[in-house]
Amino acid sequence: MIIPPISSSTAISGIAPAASPASLGPNGGAFQSVFQEAISHVSSYQQNAQAATARFLSGEDEELHHVAIATQQADLSFQLFMEVRNKVVNAYQEVMRMQI
Amino acid sequence: MSLFSSLSVSASGMSAQRTRAELLVENLANSETTRTPEGGPYRRKDTVFQSDDVASPFGSVFQRELSQGVSVSEVAQDSREPDKRYLPGHPDADKDGYVAFPKMNPAEDMVDLMSASRGFQANVSAMSAVKDMINRSIDLLRA
Amino acid sequence: MVREAECFESTQIDWPEACITGGMISGVASNLEHYMDLLSARQKLVASNIANADTPGYRTKDVDFRSELMGAAHAGSPSVLEVEGLAVHNDGNNVNIDREARLLAENAIRFNVASNLVRSHLRTIRMAITEGKNG
Repeated sequence: MIIPPISSSTAISGIAPAASPASLGPNGGAFQSVFQEAISHVSSYQQNAQAATARFLSGEDEELHHVAIATQQADLSFQLFMEVRNKVVNAYQEVMRMQI
Repeated sequence: MSLFSSLSVSASGMSAQRTRAELLVENLANSETTRTPEGGPYRRKDTVFQSDDVASPFGSVFQRELSQGVSVSEVAQDSREPDKRYLPGHPDADKDGYVAFPKMNPAEDMVDLMSASRGFQANVSAMSAVKDMINRSIDLLRA
Repeated sequence: MVREAECFESTQIDWPEACITGGMISGVASNLEHYMDLLSARQKLVASNIANADTPGYRTKDVDFRSELMGAAHAGSPSVLEVEGLAVHNDGNNVNIDREARLLAENAIRFNVASNLVRSHLRTIRMAITEGKNG
């Protein structure tokens, strides 16, 4: 039985281009790399959770509380990431609205 | 797998104890039976338990070590000479007037039955405790 | 603008590590997870002991809880050992049903405690995330 991957992991890779608009300039590079790293961390949590779930569902010896904790960790890290991203985007838009 | 295998272990314990209780009840019911289809008096039956791996296609060696179930490996029949009592008028009396009765101690079987019942209940408690732990793990998935 | 970027680079904090992975989300939970692993392994052995309480020749099994908890955490599976000091019956079986009943209750309670601790920890983090949204 092939278990389809959770779709949020593809959503994560969709975020990266939106978070680094070209107008950030040379100093935006540091921030962009921080974001890329954060995405890879969040994505590894997601992969962890997917793997644990797959192992449990296919009947191999995976404990149920491992699956539960792994999925909760993935959820939380993703949620945190989304909130941070929202804040960053809002801050950027705020700056763009400033009258020069 | 995981904690679920322990449910299978408790289930095997329950069914083994139940088999043991059924045979003990049969012994008690037939404590005076002088005639059986195989000929001769009833012979007392005993269960022999042995520990078993709980069937699982994926279990690692370690998991199998953790979950040892139990099964009834054989039903032993009493092979001792039956008791003989002098009852000349009895329909099953032999030419000397002796009737063969089962060699049994009902008091012993009653105590055994109580032990089987306690064992059964212990397995039921084990199963319900494990089920509770599984439900707690599921609760982790909620809020 | 330039000064801000300099500040940002020089602060030496690994932001992804601190924010997403470090301490908060994985830290406390991983110790509790290891504890829950040991508890469920122990409970499986208790269930096996109870099922084999009348099996001739069966020896009571357990895990060395304390040393497994202190020792190499997260290192695969705990080792199963035979319990010393239990009375042996005539058929070679040494299962003490009272000991097993006590352990059954104790493990269930401890597991309950651990899972509630994990839940409250996760709830705290979630609250921090959602409250921080408006802050």
